Amino acid sequence: MSCEELSDLFELYSLGLLEREENREIEIHMARGCAKCGENLKNALAMNAVLISTSPEVAPPSGLKRRVMSSVGLHRKGWGWLGAFATACLLVVAVWLGNQERQRGTELAEARKNIVEVASERDRLEQALRILDQPETIQITFGKGRPQPPRGNVFVHSKLGVMLIASNLPRLASGKIYEMWLIPKGGAPRPAGLFQADDMGSALHILSGPVETSSLGVVAVTVEPAAGSQAPTTQPLILASAGA
Amino acid sequence: MKVLRLLPALLAYGVLQVVLRHKDDAELARRLRTRDPHAMADLYDHYGRLAYSLIFRIVRNSAVAEDLVQETFLRVWNRVQSFDPSRGALGPWVLTVARNRAIDYLRSVDGRMSQGALELDRLENPVLFSSFEDRALTMDRVKKLKGAFEKLSPNQRLVIELAYYEGLSQTEMAERIKQPLGTVKTWVRTALKTLREELAQAATA
Repeated sequence: MSCEELSDLFELYSLGLLEREENREIEIHMARGCAKCGENLKNALAMNAVLISTSPEVAPPSGLKRRVMSSVGLHRKGWGWLGAFATACLLVVAVWLGNQERQRGTELAEARKNIVEVASERDRLEQALRILDQPETIQITFGKGRPQPPRGNVFVHSKLGVMLIASNLPRLASGKIYEMWLIPKGGAPRPAGLFQADDMGSALHILSGPVETSSLGVVAVTVEPAAGSQAPTTQPLILASAGA
Repeated sequence: MKVLRLLPALLAYGVLQVVLRHKDDAELARRLRTRDPHAMADLYDHYGRLAYSLIFRIVRNSAVAEDLVQETFLRVWNRVQSFDPSRGALGPWVLTVARNRAIDYLRSVDGRMSQGALELDRLENPVLFSSFEDRALTMDRVKKLKGAFEKLSPNQRLVIELAYYEGLSQTEMAERIKQPLGTVKTWVRTALKTLREELAQAATA
């Protein structure tokens, strides 16, 4: 075949679509360095490229570039290690910060708890001082002269409430608690709050609020279950008689 | 301003990035040859989207398209030493490799191995894409060819589609669309002649 006869076939040739015989004809021309056929081939390759570049645009997946770079051994193996190292560092920092945050949180909670306890204790002492400071407060001493403790005082103020200060209280069994009772003259004991003693057996307990001092007969303390009782279930450890 | 007016159409053609960056190709090819690690990233940035679009159009499967894009760039990377940076056309070469990878895949799936991978392999030799100075992918050429393609008759467009995007020979086209081989050859020849002439006019304009 002549160059002219082959000229229409170069697009299909460069696409790999010619039949075997046509293909061989072009190969023969190309092998002998036919300039005309060489030019036709370049034109065909160029036209094919332009034509296939008109495909509707489709966005490739975001990770494809990474895959391509990896396939040629350029995907930042250094960067990969660096990335992994950086990630590990960030993780360590994040864990450390998390621990710090948790620790700070714990410390903060502990501090808040201490502040609350201190404030509560301060309020209690201020309340105790107010009761003690009032001239109309009635003081009742108990345990004095008894061979066994506990001993102490009860302070009663008609508007501020009743304050118990005791020492030498026995150590309580597990699940037990002290409960104070206000026993009116000729009446039944009324619960007046739960409290515990410190390690030395001392306790300060205050029942805030108005108290009918004229009818108050006895301030008593019993040992009760930890949840307290509505009526004494044990014999009183302390009996402080308002009329004493 | 002309570029801005053409922008929507060019985006639809998917060629904007190729056209605008073509002037960088010689330098990019040199960097690829010297194994500059950033050059491969730049090559993907220039042609990755276009290659993926082309391959996806052929294989219609995103996972396969990803594999074939990867294969395309690997092949370009491995053969770029034979590419002439001063006179070659990087875009047409990359697109040809991409199209051939996709067609090769279709043929393997369809059991159409008669043309063989070796033949396609030979036809994407970078040496073939040298001396492309006047044949580069330019905005005007792409626009002209796209317009010419749309003016083809439905049958002519069909056979061009079957050739370029399905890799069918004229005999295979005749079997597929159940038309005489002579008729198919006439459609193909006429269509290619029209496109060729349109492109030649764009080159001399």
